[in-house]
Amino acid sequence: MNDMTRLENALDVTEAKISARGVQVFYGDTQAIRDVDVEIADKTVTALIGPSGCGKSTFLRCLNRMNDTIESCRVEGTILLDGEDIYDRRVDPVQLRAKVGMVFQKPNPFPKSIYDNVAYGPRIHGLARTRAELDEIVERALRRAALWTEAKDRLSEPGTGLSGGQQQRLCIARAVATEPEVLLMDEPCSALDPIATAQVEELIDELRQNYSVVIVTHSMQQAARVSQKTAFFHLGNLVEFGETGHIFTNPEDPRTEAYITGRIG
Amino acid sequence: MHEHHIASAFDRDLEAIQARIMKMGGLVEAAIMEAARSLETRDLELAERVRAADKAIDALEDMINEEAARVIALRAPTAVDLRLILSVTRISGNLERIGDYAKNMAKRTGVLSQMPTVDDSAGALRRMAREVEQMLKDALDAYIQRDVELAGDVIERDREVDQMYNALFREFLTFMMEDPRNISPCMHLHFIAKNIERMGDHVTAIAEQVIYLVSGARPDEARPKADTTSVKI
Repeated sequence: MNDMTRLENALDVTEAKISARGVQVFYGDTQAIRDVDVEIADKTVTALIGPSGCGKSTFLRCLNRMNDTIESCRVEGTILLDGEDIYDRRVDPVQLRAKVGMVFQKPNPFPKSIYDNVAYGPRIHGLARTRAELDEIVERALRRAALWTEAKDRLSEPGTGLSGGQQQRLCIARAVATEPEVLLMDEPCSALDPIATAQVEELIDELRQNYSVVIVTHSMQQAARVSQKTAFFHLGNLVEFGETGHIFTNPEDPRTEAYITGRIG
Repeated sequence: MHEHHIASAFDRDLEAIQARIMKMGGLVEAAIMEAARSLETRDLELAERVRAADKAIDALEDMINEEAARVIALRAPTAVDLRLILSVTRISGNLERIGDYAKNMAKRTGVLSQMPTVDDSAGALRRMAREVEQMLKDALDAYIQRDVELAGDVIERDREVDQMYNALFREFLTFMMEDPRNISPCMHLHFIAKNIERMGDHVTAIAEQVIYLVSGARPDEARPKADTTSVKI
């Protein structure tokens, strides 16, 4: 119990990696997110939960400006990464996405070799000068994604030939290869079996040593297992944000309570 | 707050487990009163029935724990559901202990019936048992109605039980000093008084579970402790 309290306190003093203030998102005339304020801590896993259409994925996609690609989408408010506004005109979204990596629901490896999947990001961002350096980056990324032992003898084989769980870990390796500071995960395990899910969850816990991880999940149990902080979204509002253990034992808001206990869909 | 789970089987599981708590509570209330009555009227047959009935109470506790484990495994309860499951396992434990104390009281009835009566001590013990039984009834009502105020009231009333025990403790001490032939019955009567006092503590623990279940908070540690005999010379 004391350990938990200490953890909670430690989390409170951790500096915010991302601070969102008054974030509103519109798709045309429809408002998807209303006035969200949240501080996402460094070296912490933050889970975003809520029913379908509550805005959690939309919010996640604001954090690396993935919403820029949607014509009708408009984002208001400020989102600061290390104190700098990511929606500032001078910020290059491509550079931003190298710092704020993303892993999607379905594993989506490029139709290239395992090696090239991981090497793609470092190549376009010019992170390696020599082949040896690139090899090193690829190995480190694959090791970090817990895929190295399975993939090291088949680096030239297509990434699409891996199993579902391995493909997802390949996508995670690809995301970490550019040394991001924040990793966004949009339901990273929803297409995986329980074993692969457990491996990815273990990986998320390890990634927390170096990154700030924000994960959208429909599995409440997954949120409870992997995150230290949980944010509950409902109808575009951030209803409750707090320490995960607290949210799952004694939530403050009746809507949070109703959702996590399975009383509203 | 939405009342029902989307999975109605979850609601049925939780209702079933609470129904068992109420059943167990009813048996324990009856055990307290019958044990006290058997002591006062020296009714050995009734005392024997109380001892036999404890098996049913123990069996219910096992059932409740099994069902609670099943709900945890299958439904992964959270928030108020989690607190409900934690509270039923603790409350069933408290009820089981109260049942044991009642059984022990009934056991001593057999021994005491062979000895001379000591004043109206059996009557005083019955009144004390009556108070605890009322508290238990209210604690279980508070549980089923999620009534924090009533639960708080029960916790307060434990002070009276403690005071009754203190008074009896002094009385038994006096009887024993007056006449050594009183020592044997008074020792048994004192154990009975202490058992009833302990029942009150378990009832208090049940009332505290009600507060935890409803609010998620533990009641203050400053609960009344009026049993002062442990520091008396």
